[in-house]
Amino acid sequence: MAERLSFYDEIGRNKRNSILLFFVVFALTVFLGYVIGMVYDPSLSLLFVVVAAVLAILQIVNSYYNGDKIVLLSTGAREAPYEKYRFLHNCVEGMAIAAGVPKPKIYVIESKEMNAFATGRDPNHSSIAVTTGLLDNLNRQELEGVIGHEMSHVKNYDIRFALLVAVLVGLIAIVSNIFMRSMWFGGGRSDRDRGNGGAILIIVGVVLAIVAPIIVRLVQLAISRQREFLADASGAELTRYPPGLAAALEKISKINKSDMPVSEAVSHLFFVDPVHTFIDKLTSTHPPIQERIKRLKAM
Amino acid sequence: MISILMGILIAVAVIIVAVFVYFYNSIVVLGNRIDNAWSQIDVQLKKRADLVPNLVETVKGYAKHEKTVFAAVTEARSEWMKATTPADKAKAGNVLAGALKSVFAVAENYPELKASENFKVLQEELSGIENKIAYSRQFYNDAILSYNNTITTIPGIWFAGIMGKTEKKIYLEIKPVEREVVKVSF
Repeated sequence: MAERLSFYDEIGRNKRNSILLFFVVFALTVFLGYVIGMVYDPSLSLLFVVVAAVLAILQIVNSYYNGDKIVLLSTGAREAPYEKYRFLHNCVEGMAIAAGVPKPKIYVIESKEMNAFATGRDPNHSSIAVTTGLLDNLNRQELEGVIGHEMSHVKNYDIRFALLVAVLVGLIAIVSNIFMRSMWFGGGRSDRDRGNGGAILIIVGVVLAIVAPIIVRLVQLAISRQREFLADASGAELTRYPPGLAAALEKISKINKSDMPVSEAVSHLFFVDPVHTFIDKLTSTHPPIQERIKRLKAM
Repeated sequence: MISILMGILIAVAVIIVAVFVYFYNSIVVLGNRIDNAWSQIDVQLKKRADLVPNLVETVKGYAKHEKTVFAAVTEARSEWMKATTPADKAKAGNVLAGALKSVFAVAENYPELKASENFKVLQEELSGIENKIAYSRQFYNDAILSYNNTITTIPGIWFAGIMGKTEKKIYLEIKPVEREVVKVSF
């Protein structure tokens, strides 16, 4: 019973955090609109605020309903037909039954690296993607271990919050980037009557461009590490066989050598860290694989 | 003074009603989950039975002389189709599982059969279904466990008494070996 309660705790926490993130992004966007409005023409600042609010709502709604598709597209995942991937389909369906959730849509990523991720807004609208490397190297118990881990992300609504983080915070990075570029162009042409305003804009842009990626990183960090241990534990509870997942992690630590071509904005969704850049080494979104294996073996 | 007393009385009544609604609903939801879990098992058992004709057809093509094995598995299938009560179904299902196992054991002696694409697909399908049966039983048992936990502990036990709900028996033992009934070897 305690374990069930904790699942509900997780679900509640994820739903609350998702709503909180909505408001933070909404407030940030409106504030940005206000700053830009003040800089361009203070008498029009209300208009800018309204436009920013409408855009923010549109973007939030869009990422809630279509974020999973954006993430799947960005990672190059394509739908896995049943006839070709029976083994994968059977494993996923088995774990869905064990978790008591509907079977997610199944995708495959062409890559030699072994990895997987789950995304979606709730268990009724979820997808699981695995790399071909994972399929080629794991037996049934091991694959079920990995899928069980992903299935518990689906069941406890981790996918919803992680998805919103990926799309919305990724958006901040893009906006700050566009902002910076428009500064380079705008700077030469039109600073005849807004010398002061232009300077403020540039400062805001620069600050955003520097701060946004750090925020992305911090939020990813905050949500990731503990969740991975939790998903390992509840995934192993679905299969009732922790050694399967431990063996899969063992293989992954031996076989994975290079980086996957995916954006940092979605790296926290993956089963193991898909990229190993410099900043990543300093602030990894994932706990070390050896530590995860150790905990599984202690179960 | 009286209005304060009335207020307290109303507040207590509201809390009691809210608690009752909460427990009534969770007991009903947990009960429904058991029924749902049972039908999940049924779906998978049916899929396994549906696999039999196709399997027999495929194996016959390579191993014509293993008549007793085919007869046994076909018989087990029709027994399962006839079973109606959960207990009968569980029993017939076990017989069918055994018969299927012997079909795959026979296949070991026919390398051409083992190499055929059709047979490999059937083998994967069967291992998949056996796994799903095991997981649906696990979910069923878990559902019964959390139902029983709710209605036998305080305060659930009081509401269960009012609603006339009694503990359900777990009668599906999961043998760990069932997970690996068929070893897929390529």
